[in-house]
Amino acid sequence: MTLKRLSAFCLLLLCQIISAQKDSITSLKEVIVSDANLKKYSNSQSVLKLNDSVIAKNEALLTDLLNFNSTIYFKEYGRGMLSTVAFRGTTASQTAVIWNGININSQMNGSTDFNTISGSDYNSVSVKAGGGSVIYGSGAVGGTVHLNNDLAFYKRFENNLKLDYGSFNTIGINYKTNISNEKWSAQIGFSKNSSTNDYKYLNRYTWKGEQRWNQNGQYDIITVNANVGYKFDSKNILKLYTQTSNTDRNTSLITETERKSKYINGFNRNLLEYDGDFGKFRTNFKAAYIFENFQYYADNSKNQYTYGKTESLITKADLGYTLFKSTQINGIIDYNRTKGYGSGFGDHTREISSAALLIKQDFSADWKNEFGIRKEFTDNYKSPILFSLGSSYQLNKLYNLKLNLSRNFRIPTFNDLYWEEGGNPNLKPESSYQAEIGNVFTFKNMSLTQTFYYMKIKDLLQWVPGKNGIWSPQNTDKVNSYGAETLLSWKKHFSKNYFSANASYAYTISEDEATGKQLFFVPFHKVNGAISYSRNKISAYYQFLYNGFVYTQSDNDPKQIVKDYTVSNLGVDYDFNFLESFKLGFQVLNLFNENYESLENRPLPGRNFNIYINLKF
Amino acid sequence: MKLTRFLLIALSVSLFVSCSNDDSNDAPKGVYDNGFFILNEGSSKGGSVSFSSDDFSTVVPNVYEAANGADFAGVYLQNIFFNGDNAYIIAGGSDVINVVNRYTFKLVSKIETGLITPRYGVVKDGKAYVTNANTYSYINPATGDTDDFIAVIDLATNKVESKIDLNSTANRIILENNKLYITDSSNDKVLVVNPATKTLEAPITIGYSGDSMEVKDGVLYVLKSPYQNRGELVKIKLSDKTISKIAFPESLDGSGNLDIYGDKIYYTVNKSVYAMNTSATTPSTTPLFTASLSTDGYIYGFTVKNDKFYIGDGGDFKSSSKAYIYDLNGTFIKDLAVGIAPNGFYFNE
Repeated sequence: MTLKRLSAFCLLLLCQIISAQKDSITSLKEVIVSDANLKKYSNSQSVLKLNDSVIAKNEALLTDLLNFNSTIYFKEYGRGMLSTVAFRGTTASQTAVIWNGININSQMNGSTDFNTISGSDYNSVSVKAGGGSVIYGSGAVGGTVHLNNDLAFYKRFENNLKLDYGSFNTIGINYKTNISNEKWSAQIGFSKNSSTNDYKYLNRYTWKGEQRWNQNGQYDIITVNANVGYKFDSKNILKLYTQTSNTDRNTSLITETERKSKYINGFNRNLLEYDGDFGKFRTNFKAAYIFENFQYYADNSKNQYTYGKTESLITKADLGYTLFKSTQINGIIDYNRTKGYGSGFGDHTREISSAALLIKQDFSADWKNEFGIRKEFTDNYKSPILFSLGSSYQLNKLYNLKLNLSRNFRIPTFNDLYWEEGGNPNLKPESSYQAEIGNVFTFKNMSLTQTFYYMKIKDLLQWVPGKNGIWSPQNTDKVNSYGAETLLSWKKHFSKNYFSANASYAYTISEDEATGKQLFFVPFHKVNGAISYSRNKISAYYQFLYNGFVYTQSDNDPKQIVKDYTVSNLGVDYDFNFLESFKLGFQVLNLFNENYESLENRPLPGRNFNIYINLKF
Repeated sequence: MKLTRFLLIALSVSLFVSCSNDDSNDAPKGVYDNGFFILNEGSSKGGSVSFSSDDFSTVVPNVYEAANGADFAGVYLQNIFFNGDNAYIIAGGSDVINVVNRYTFKLVSKIETGLITPRYGVVKDGKAYVTNANTYSYINPATGDTDDFIAVIDLATNKVESKIDLNSTANRIILENNKLYITDSSNDKVLVVNPATKTLEAPITIGYSGDSMEVKDGVLYVLKSPYQNRGELVKIKLSDKTISKIAFPESLDGSGNLDIYGDKIYYTVNKSVYAMNTSATTPSTTPLFTASLSTDGYIYGFTVKNDKFYIGDGGDFKSSSKAYIYDLNGTFIKDLAVGIAPNGFYFNE
């Protein structure tokens, strides 16, 4: 079975043998996943699942977790600052972030800032490479990142508290409790991650010879989660997911003389979901209210700011029917109303409806096919017909072939349409065709996944200067992206010594069709890897990241690049076996003191340290 | 244009202001003598300065980095003015002015406090007068349009010694006959400041969108180019402040870069250069020539000097661009590889 194999593979990747064993035990108990379609309709694509044990080993914010564990490329405006991605050579707004099945990319700028999300708020973070607009809508072009909270219905009272203290006064407080029985399940979590973030810039001095350091880089991110499920009976389940977060960040200076600014943003998400399982017929209804806002203070010392807010109401009905034993069909309709108001783009409301049909057909246990089609209806733009077509064939024990073809899109944002001045109400969505072939090889202790993809993107939105210097978005460019992703994992144990290793490599060409130039801020090469070892109560790991150089200009001027860098982390922890688990851990981050940056003039820290306690009771 | 004006002032000032400079006291004037700098505004990642010799045979990219290593000049480089042996590079996005030796580009000092979104500067009697846009009304509706000021910089100490509040918006500045004249497209006046008393004098109302300007024979010429509306050339006789206006037709929408050279007034629209006589009463609507710029580019930086046009191609404002040299007949002479968004030419002579 591909799915089992895939999830087994994902577990391998997590390089956490002991926990992985625990996971496989708990997974026998009933766990309700928040995003059923992620599992159901991704047989023909590659999904990398990072569970809580991996999340706990990495730095708190999602940028670090995914930078060291996935093929996604990140650029950060300094440690903890604005962080955006390129996935398969696409732009920041062509990776969709999905919270419990709901697309949460900003309605204002189309993207997600990965330094405003703390991984510990979720049970798992999954990375799905490739198109997914049929299920997840706008932005699911390069891939999707899934933040999932799972509710389990068995008797338990579990608490998890992780406390971190690190260099630059970096403090992490992450707490999660699960209280459940056969009827009720509740998960309540709190996370706070902050830092004064005043690290030194390695070998950089001002013109007066003073050591340069990261000024005005402090951040504080607080998130509260409360998720509750109630099982009426074996057929009916009601779930409520809520989350509130506030990120209060100053913005790192690139020159000492700049005015100090800050950026505060927050969100509130509420999702009410009903699952009905009536044998052949299944229903899933969702209603969500999502609020996001930001305030930008160009000068910290003054109470003057620009702002933007959006409120979205999302309703979704998903009706599933098992046609034959081998064939399942889902019809989905949704309605989405977003009201946005801000100092930059006025006051506008956007309504989007859509209808989608998904079909899954399993000819046999080894051969699975999936098909999806979706069309959106809105007054705002002309929407293309989206589709997805995939097949997974398990040739033998060793080899699994996957094929997927899809059409995906990214809709214009409030900024694109309504920005004053320059917003262009006559924009088309960016759209793409994508084809991929995945080869999954599984040996005894080893798994190798290799995916080749080709993507054609047209109508890429670019802000271009017009007359009088007013910039305006236009559907200008066509981009061809292609490349290969290789994921490798291995594990082995010799009596009590457990070893595991994993690595990934992404080779990416993403070129402007007209000029033949590589898109800027898309590296040709990205590699990461980890090895871990554990024995009894002690475990240790080493992880590294190699990021190839990137051009910083569309003309590929060879002088205008961000140089390649390699960053390594080393960690060790010891379980005192007090309570259920009491781990004391120590990490050395940027072990070799690499002097690096992911954006020009925005250096990242040298060697630094973190100590943590991870308690389960 | 103000550039020639800057130079005259700078040269005359240099006659009686002595500037101490540790780096080049006894050295020859330096590698960047006999040429000109192209100021590349850059993007949010920073700007740069390119150099070309007068005969265009030597072009050096990023002379600031070449001379000063890792030191960062700042973002959105707006303007350069000279005084004696020094060049002052205004970084509008970094609230700093980098003081360098104009012949070696070695950093002499930085003016680091007292500036808030500095724009353009002129020099008179050892002092620089730099307009500061301060806050903008989109973020500060209460006072964003009235808080602009002139920072008065003592060039002996490279410190802001005082400021002159303008109670208005401010951008371009020129010095003429001991008076400062200031335009900004978002107000309807030419501001007049007496630098000796640091006081505002009666402004001259010309209507909104006044931008590039130059004085010739006691007449201040201001080119207005409102967004999506017709432009106008305003002539102000400075002796009695009487105004006459020449209307621009729709075909000249988006005009800019007024520069007077000889008895001709030059201005640009998109990729084209136009010329009219200073005595003309109607504008020229036929281009003198159209420059062969990049597809989406338009004339961003522009100067007429030494019987040549110096044109900076804005390009896409994201990639390294080019500067183009044409003769006064519009015949192409040379193009030079420069940085992002070349917005001005500054001559060492």
